[in-house]
Amino acid sequence: MLDSLSDLYWTYQNIIHGIAVNGILGLSVYLVLSIGQLALGQAAFMGIGAYFGAIATTKLGLPFPVALVTSVLAPAAVALAIGAPTLRLTGVYLAISMLGLGEISRLLFLNWEYAGGALGLSGIPARGGVYLLYGVLVVLIIALFFVGRSRIGRAMEAMREDETAAGVMGVNVPRYKLATLVASAMLAGLAGCLSAHLSSFIGPNEYGFEMATTILSFALLGGIGTPLGPVAGAAILTLLPEVLRFLADYRMMINGAIIVVAVLFMPRGLLSWRMKRTV
Amino acid sequence: MLQQQLVNGFVLGATYALFALGFTMMFGVLGVINLTYGVYFALGAFAALWASKSIGLSVWLALPVGAIFTGCIAIVIDTLLLTRLRRAKAPELSSLMVTIGATLFLYTGLSVVYGTEIRRFPLDFAPSAAFEIFGVRVVATQALIVVAALLMAAALIWIVRGTKVGLAVRGVAENPDAAALMGVNGGLVTHLVSFMSGAIGGAAGVLIGLNFNAIQPFMGENMMLRGFAVIIIGGLGDLRGALIAGFLLGIIEVLTAGYFASAAKDLVAFALLVITLWVRPVGLFGRAAAKRA
Amino acid sequence: MRAALIAALTAALIGAAAAQESKEPIKLGAIEVLTGPNNRYGVPAQRAFDLAVDEINKSGGVLGGRPIAIAYEDSAGNKDQAMNAARKLIGRDKVPLLLGPTLSNEMFAVGPVVNDRKIPIIGTSTTASGITAIGPWVFRTAMPESDVIPVTLKTAKDKLGLKKVVVMYANDDAFTKSAYDVMKDSLAKLGIETLATETFSGKDTDFTAQLTKAKNLNPDAIVVSGHVDAASGIILQGRQLGIGKNVRFIGGNGFNSPKLAEIAGEAADGTLVGSPWFLTKKDEVNQKFVKAYKEKYGDDPDQFAAQAYDTMYLVAKAINAAGGTEPEKLREALQKAKNYGVMGPFSFTEGRDPADASGVVVLEMQGGKFRIFGETS
Repeated sequence: MLDSLSDLYWTYQNIIHGIAVNGILGLSVYLVLSIGQLALGQAAFMGIGAYFGAIATTKLGLPFPVALVTSVLAPAAVALAIGAPTLRLTGVYLAISMLGLGEISRLLFLNWEYAGGALGLSGIPARGGVYLLYGVLVVLIIALFFVGRSRIGRAMEAMREDETAAGVMGVNVPRYKLATLVASAMLAGLAGCLSAHLSSFIGPNEYGFEMATTILSFALLGGIGTPLGPVAGAAILTLLPEVLRFLADYRMMINGAIIVVAVLFMPRGLLSWRMKRTV
Repeated sequence: MLQQQLVNGFVLGATYALFALGFTMMFGVLGVINLTYGVYFALGAFAALWASKSIGLSVWLALPVGAIFTGCIAIVIDTLLLTRLRRAKAPELSSLMVTIGATLFLYTGLSVVYGTEIRRFPLDFAPSAAFEIFGVRVVATQALIVVAALLMAAALIWIVRGTKVGLAVRGVAENPDAAALMGVNGGLVTHLVSFMSGAIGGAAGVLIGLNFNAIQPFMGENMMLRGFAVIIIGGLGDLRGALIAGFLLGIIEVLTAGYFASAAKDLVAFALLVITLWVRPVGLFGRAAAKRA
Repeated sequence: MRAALIAALTAALIGAAAAQESKEPIKLGAIEVLTGPNNRYGVPAQRAFDLAVDEINKSGGVLGGRPIAIAYEDSAGNKDQAMNAARKLIGRDKVPLLLGPTLSNEMFAVGPVVNDRKIPIIGTSTTASGITAIGPWVFRTAMPESDVIPVTLKTAKDKLGLKKVVVMYANDDAFTKSAYDVMKDSLAKLGIETLATETFSGKDTDFTAQLTKAKNLNPDAIVVSGHVDAASGIILQGRQLGIGKNVRFIGGNGFNSPKLAEIAGEAADGTLVGSPWFLTKKDEVNQKFVKAYKEKYGDDPDQFAAQAYDTMYLVAKAINAAGGTEPEKLREALQKAKNYGVMGPFSFTEGRDPADASGVVVLEMQGGKFRIFGETS
């Protein structure tokens, strides 16, 4: 009996990991969406985190915690560096610039021989595991709940509704924007590192436009009223291809359709809970 | 070799410019970054391909067929997706996101129906003469593209600047409510602009598919990223800008690959894109300003 | 008397049950790309597996009468899906052996997991380097580029007297990059000078910049590592730019497709490519396979089908030699297995790669069709 339980777990292990990783990614895009910005750079930050973390363990032989820290700091540094000029842009310009930066980072990884270039990095040791993954996810959800209910959360919502008004009311808009971008980059990088150490192989083409839109669809499906929204969206979209195996060919079609339907008909997403605030 | 490389860059630039014309018009007038534009590109090519294979049309007839077909589809898609958002005066981001989703859906759908292998137009589809002038080799289709890009740009600019229709279009672009008050039928203008940019996109697809002999469902996706670069560098909504930026990008890319390193060719477009956004977001000729924090 | 009857009946029932049990199919697992852009590699493999299984089962199956059955899972070219498929087939369906996955990228992700679990896995189309290094349970029957390309280049050098070439490769794909590495190595070993190395993206459609540069350097040939989409564009544009017919294009495995002629037309005449297998190989085993495949599916088989077909026969032999499906015995049997298939004689090296490269041929494109380089008929 125990044998078949552990077999069952082994069979679905990858999916179980996937839900948690995608949940963290959903939270990362949630952060940026909740101040009203559309950032399509999560996939690139995820890639940076994955690569730096994987290089740390595979090429430099460093222990896993060090890799985790690297995978969080590296994207944060990049976000800080590009944040200043990029965040002066709004809306569409910001989205396109993040797309451009994402492509640049993909091309850089592609040509970086040390990191494997087009062949990617294989042989990444298995580290972390389901408890770490879900532990991190839960901690993040709780943390974001607290942030959301605090003054910071109110400022962020104000920015989302009307940036100019928020600025006039005393919200330090540029600082919030940068902080949000950095935080979101850190989460994405963390997800990337965790995911890399559970799939033993990463390649530069995994972190491009397709991944960026997939991550976006987590939040669009689940809604961004609360942190649980994107996580729920991620869970559903991770399970969907497995549950509906015959729709494998149509996976991207479904992703696309979901985004369309979500934006047109469900602007609040599936879980349209609003955050209750005490402050 | 320099002359040949310059010609190469010029031709490549013409393809970028051709692609960007309809794209930038859509944004300039309708205020929406319509990512499904890339699909129009592919649709035009496939429509013309079908016309050439089943009815045996050559490029001179198949091109308008492809263009008109795509123009109509553009109207349908615009109505389905964007009218609702426009009426609700939703933020730009919503239209961006909706078109991202629609693009994914349509590309994948097209590849499910047609498969992802590349195809080409039949050999007798277009004149295939090659000539050599001043040590430079040019093929008829390349000349066709350059001429088409210039002609279309000229035609569009003339329509927008010099006709009453163009006036109506510009009016709606600037202030839809005021235009309506002045008796302009906003809905009709929107449909017209959709049609035109869809048609241009489709025509671009036919010509570019012809030049590179590579017709496949995702052909628009690769052009799209370059298209972004071109319209941003040229200035969102500016036709002149799209033309010039397109040619410029083509030439710079080819010269980079030819004299520097071919691996850097792809980087050029994105690097220029990002630099433009950081230094002068309005691009060469653009009007809309980015907010200064 | 009654007791004897009951005993006989029971014995008969048990016998019937045992006979039934012994006819139970041996279920193998296969992960292939069946949908999506890369299914042109996975679908032929599936078809060939099915063809081979049909033939094997018709002629008595394995282990004294048990038919083989294959449970397919589609990876759609997605690494995660391939991973999930592997776990399902092994963890839930408990297959004793896995065939595939189709792409090298997928194998890099799936291989370590399957290897850890101690189930043999055989890649029939994964040609990147480092596959079999994943572990002792990972086998590969696909002829890697490192066996084919040196033959192609040497033949070209011997027959054409190549001295200097320009190399172009797609740098955004593991397969084409790997093939390029092999090309670089072989060219150096053969003493052929590389005048320049240009890169492109597999999704590019404009190669005029790189080709103009190449033309100016006056190479004897242009060596290209890319998939057929880019390859056709390169050849076509190269000729348009005035690169003469005397400068041949020499390609890696990506060139090995009828699409090349379809898209590039006349311009592709004279193109050389090495292949581990060839459709019109006059060998009897091959001809029988081609005929059967064409009858069943209406299309000609390609090398992915050929490799899969041979692999299935090899697996059947191994199962018989192992006397069952116990993984460790199966693994040992595979290591020692030998087969004479449509690709020619086959056995594994110590490192579980194909040991015999004598079936490799160099093909030349003429008039829209490939034929053996050097043959005039």
